[in-house]
Amino acid sequence: MLDLNSGRGDFAALLGNNAPTNTPFSPATINGNVLSSSAMAGNGLADTHIHGTTVIAVKYKDGVINVGDRRATGGMAIMYDKAEKVLALDDYTLMAISGAFSKAMDIVRYLRHAFKYYERSQLQPMSLDGKLSELGKVIAGNQMAAMQGIGVVIPVLSLFDQQANEGRIFFYDAGGARFETAEFGAAGSGSTQIRGVFEYIAREKGPFREMDRDTALRQALLLLEIAADLDAATGGAGKILPLAKTITADGIEDVEESTLRSMVGEILSKEPLSVGPQR
Amino acid sequence: MGYSRSAEAYWKLLRVTVEDPNCPVMKKEAMSYSFYDFNNALQQRNEYVEDRLKDGSPVVAISFDGGILLLTLKREQRKVFEVYDRLMMGVLGKQSDIESLRIAAIETAHKEGFERSPDDVSIQRLVGFSLSPAVKKIYNDQSTIPLTFRAIFAEMGLKAENDHLFVLGYDGEFKTSAGAAVAAGTVYAEQQAMDFLKEAKIENREDALRAALTAWGIGRARLSAKKESDEEEFSPLADRSENPMPSNSDDPVVALKEAFKDGLVVEAGVLERRTSRESKFRLLTTKDMASVLADY
Repeated sequence: MLDLNSGRGDFAALLGNNAPTNTPFSPATINGNVLSSSAMAGNGLADTHIHGTTVIAVKYKDGVINVGDRRATGGMAIMYDKAEKVLALDDYTLMAISGAFSKAMDIVRYLRHAFKYYERSQLQPMSLDGKLSELGKVIAGNQMAAMQGIGVVIPVLSLFDQQANEGRIFFYDAGGARFETAEFGAAGSGSTQIRGVFEYIAREKGPFREMDRDTALRQALLLLEIAADLDAATGGAGKILPLAKTITADGIEDVEESTLRSMVGEILSKEPLSVGPQR
Repeated sequence: MGYSRSAEAYWKLLRVTVEDPNCPVMKKEAMSYSFYDFNNALQQRNEYVEDRLKDGSPVVAISFDGGILLLTLKREQRKVFEVYDRLMMGVLGKQSDIESLRIAAIETAHKEGFERSPDDVSIQRLVGFSLSPAVKKIYNDQSTIPLTFRAIFAEMGLKAENDHLFVLGYDGEFKTSAGAAVAAGTVYAEQQAMDFLKEAKIENREDALRAALTAWGIGRARLSAKKESDEEEFSPLADRSENPMPSNSDDPVVALKEAFKDGLVVEAGVLERRTSRESKFRLLTTKDMASVLADY
């Protein structure tokens, strides 16, 4: 019974050996419609999938900051206002998720196990490139489902590269291709509206990677608020505080609530100007 | 290494002895043996394993307010491992068997944690229902060499009183232990070390480290009740690559100093109850242990 023929630390293989189904993201296992359960029946949303909206990653001088609003939507309805869309995969990896919530949470659960299983069984952490490929594989495995409209997931992965001693940000397309960005990344429904703002800030205020934490955090929160103003699906910070986490050489930390509250208060205190001739 | 007389070989030997009317050893007992003398076979298996475990480096687990400490002394290969989010193990024994046990534990925990929930991965389920029966099956199989190990499994709860410590043996039997646990070369050594730990006052990690080191020394130095350890026969089968012959002293401090002089180093893992890190487990660094190790 102890004779388990393995040893590569490959979590998908571990599941594949014993599980009656295939790996968790093969087309065989993604047909279950999460929201068709009784919890959602009768409200006209039975066939809607819940989506996470805007997440942002920016570099700063000690690492990377991730922020995300707390909204999750199903069609035109706001389904949840306390969604956590910035999740730690291990001590130095954050995944910010957008798109189909059910799939994204599955992917997070899978990767957490895959990274930890590798590290615990192989007695060394999975390499940075290994982690990036693992996520790429999972997204590629989900592509069939994505094409059928069952659930596209677009994550932004932020890591602290311990060898280079700096934060790094990667984004993916729906097919699993990955791209590294120099300064910032964003995903979700509100991300397209604010793409130009990133550029503007970086050119006008200097690179994000040279900012201290609070300066970069303020910019990221402002970007999120602009996304909320321009995208119906992104939740504003007025109702519920966004989520903000940092990764540095010391690992992942939540930004303390008091800092977050005062920054958000400051951003929200600037009321939009009224239209028409000023009296 | 790896050689043991199978039951059949033993029987052959026995038959020769029985057929020889002048054999002084087996003359009286011979008649009471049957071909399938499981008692004798088990005794042989136990002796085989015990002989190899005797000189192993003890493993000590202590639960305290801030978490759980698992400590041993090693030469090269690691003996203390993270198993799952709130689970770790420390083992003494044959390296290859330690490896089988470790991989089996990690795979079972991860599969269950992913397919159900991390909250369902408990030490009771892992050791009691998965590992113990599997180890027992191997032990009972007369055609295989038994696994050679003694292991401590630790599960960290939200509070110290919810911590669980299990000691699993090579025969698949396990016992639970509250507050502290020791796996050592002999049962006597384990008892001696536990007697010490029961009296020890442990409030923080440093206390735990200090007590665990002393317990290690006791577990190493006091293998049996009799004082004259030089009376013990030297077993050529015992694996001494890791551990040379122990000295005659039963003083834990002497045992520790000798071990350090001999090149062994402390390996200590902790599960931290109140860390903000994603991983609760980490190996202590030399810096973490410097103040305690300065005593030796």
